Amino acid sequence: MVIYREAYRLYDFGPGHPFSPVRLEMLTSLLQALGVWREPLSPPEATREEVLSVHSERLVGRVEAASRGERVPDLEHYGLATGDTPVFPGMDRAARALVGGTLEGARRLLAGEKRVLQLGGGLHHAQYDRASGFCVYNDLSVAIRHLTRAGLRVAYLDIDVHHGDGVQWIHYEEGGVLTLSLHESGRYLFPGTGHVYEVGKGEGVGRKLNLPLEPFTEDESYLEVFEALVPWALSAFRPDVLVVQAGADAHYLDPLADLLLTTRAYERLFRLLLEYAEAFAGGRVLLTLGGGYSLDGAVRVWALLYHLFHGLPLPEHLPEGWRLAWEARLGRPLTPTLHDPEAPYPEVPRRPEIVKRNRLTLQRLTELVGSRLLD
Amino acid sequence: MLVKDVMRAPVVTVGPDWTLEDAFRLLLERGIRHLPVVAEGRLLGIITDRDIRLATSHLNPQGPCPGCAQVGEVMTEGVVTAHPLDPVEEAARVMRERKIGSLPVLEDGELVGIVTGIDLLDALLRLTGVTEPSGRLEVRLPDRPGELARLTGFLAGRGVNIHSLLSYPEDGDFVRAVVRVNTLETHLLAEGLRQEGFAVLWPPQKPW
Repeated sequence: MVIYREAYRLYDFGPGHPFSPVRLEMLTSLLQALGVWREPLSPPEATREEVLSVHSERLVGRVEAASRGERVPDLEHYGLATGDTPVFPGMDRAARALVGGTLEGARRLLAGEKRVLQLGGGLHHAQYDRASGFCVYNDLSVAIRHLTRAGLRVAYLDIDVHHGDGVQWIHYEEGGVLTLSLHESGRYLFPGTGHVYEVGKGEGVGRKLNLPLEPFTEDESYLEVFEALVPWALSAFRPDVLVVQAGADAHYLDPLADLLLTTRAYERLFRLLLEYAEAFAGGRVLLTLGGGYSLDGAVRVWALLYHLFHGLPLPEHLPEGWRLAWEARLGRPLTPTLHDPEAPYPEVPRRPEIVKRNRLTLQRLTELVGSRLLD
Repeated sequence: MLVKDVMRAPVVTVGPDWTLEDAFRLLLERGIRHLPVVAEGRLLGIITDRDIRLATSHLNPQGPCPGCAQVGEVMTEGVVTAHPLDPVEEAARVMRERKIGSLPVLEDGELVGIVTGIDLLDALLRLTGVTEPSGRLEVRLPDRPGELARLTGFLAGRGVNIHSLLSYPEDGDFVRAVVRVNTLETHLLAEGLRQEGFAVLWPPQKPW
C-alpha cells in the first residue's frame, strides 16, 4: 500500500532550500510516466494531540504561532526560524500532513497490512522540544509510539546519510524500540551525534545502535557493514515490525554529504530490507522517504524503491518525454537511465583505509553491544 | 571556562591520624584516587591510592615505609592548589608541568573543591563536543589579526549560528579553526568560503 497526498508538497521552506517539494513532484510524475503509478491512500493530517504524543506543548504552540505569522521572540531556542528550518505560513498543517501519512501507515500495519510505503516524511531530526535540520515534527516517532502503545516491538532502521538523532533521543530510554542508524560520521557531518557509544539509557541500553561511517565510504564497504550488522541486530531483537527511513542522500550526487553510494547499492539495500522484513518482522514494514537533495539522484533512488516495493521489473531507461520536460524546467541534464552509469565518479585514493576504518567501527559497535543486551 | 565550572564538590577528605587501611578503603568505596588531608579546616597535604600502595608494598624499590600506619606519615605536603576563578587551562598546565593528578581548590584557605585529570577530560569534551545539532567546518587561517573576524563575519552574513569555535596554532604561521554551525549545508558554506579565498579543509571539494 502506498500513502501520498499532494498536500505533502506544502511542506516547503521556499526556493533555494534543499528540502524541496519539487522532489515529490518529479518522483510522482516519473512514476506516472512509467505507467506504474496507482492511486495512493491519502489520509488526513495528524491531529494536534497525535503530534503531542512525542513533542512538547511548548514546541507545538510555537510552530502554530509561527504558522499564523505571529512574531515569537524565542523561536531559535526551539530550532525554528533558522537558515535550515525557517518558518513559513501554514507550516504546522503541512508538517501534520506528513505526520498523518506516516501515522496512517502504522495504523494500517496494525490492521493487518504487510507493507506500507509512505512517499514523504522521514523527518528524523525533529526532537521532543525542538525542530532541527529541515524537520518540524517527527512523523517517524509518532508512528513508532503508536505501534509501541499497541504493544509492538519496533525496529527502526535509518539509512539517511545523517544520523537519525531525533528518533534516537525520543526513544532513548525505551526497551521496546530498537533504533539503528547508518550514517556519515558526525565527526564532520550534521548533526554531529551518532557515535558508537550512544547505546541507549535505562531500559533502552543496547537498543540504540549507531554505525558512523567514513566520508567516501562507497557501495562495497557500506554493503559489507550493513549486511553484517542489520540481520544480526534484527535477529537478536526480534521486532514485530520494521520502520525504515529511506533517505536518499547517501547517493554520490548529493550536495550535502559524502558517502558516495550509487543506485546499485540502493537496489541491493532495498532488496535486503524487504527480505529482512520477511525474515525478522513477519513481513511487516513501513517505509518513509527522508533526505535526498540531488533531484537527479534522489528521484531515481526512490523510483527504484517504488518498483522493488511492488515487485515490478526495473525499467532501464527513463521515459524521454519526462526527462526532456524536466531538463527544460531545471535547465540541466539528467541521468537518462534508472541506474547510475558505471564508475560515475573518480576513484577514491584512500579506499583501503576507509574500508578498514568502517570494519573497525563495526567491530567496536558489536563489542560494545553484545547480542545479550539486545535480547 | 573556570576551575569552579569543572571542579568536584564537596570533597572527600581524611585526617592525618587516619590509618592507611581506612584511607585506602575509602578510596575504593568512593571510586576515587585522591584524598586531601584536612585538620581543623586547613589543608595539610594530599594522599593518593598510589602513595598508599607504594608505602605498603615490598615491590617499592625503596621497600615499604617501615612502621608507616597513618596518613600523616605518608601524605605529600606542600600541596599544589588552584583557585575557583583560575582558568581551566591554567589548572591543566600546572597539572601537566608538575605531572600530578589533581589540584585541591582553595578559596580563602578553605577547601571548596578538587579538580582531577578526569574533570579536565570532561572539560575537553564540553569544549569540543556537540551540544546542539550542528555541522562542522575546518578552515586554515593565516595567523594575523582580523582573519577570524573575516570568517565569523562571513558566517554571520549567511545567517548561520556558531555553536562552538576552536582554534589552535598550526605549523608555518597558520591557525586552524574548527567551527560547529547550525546547518546541514556545510558544503554550500564551504563553497562560499572558498570563493572568498579561505582555505577550507573540511568539508572537501568534490571533483564532480
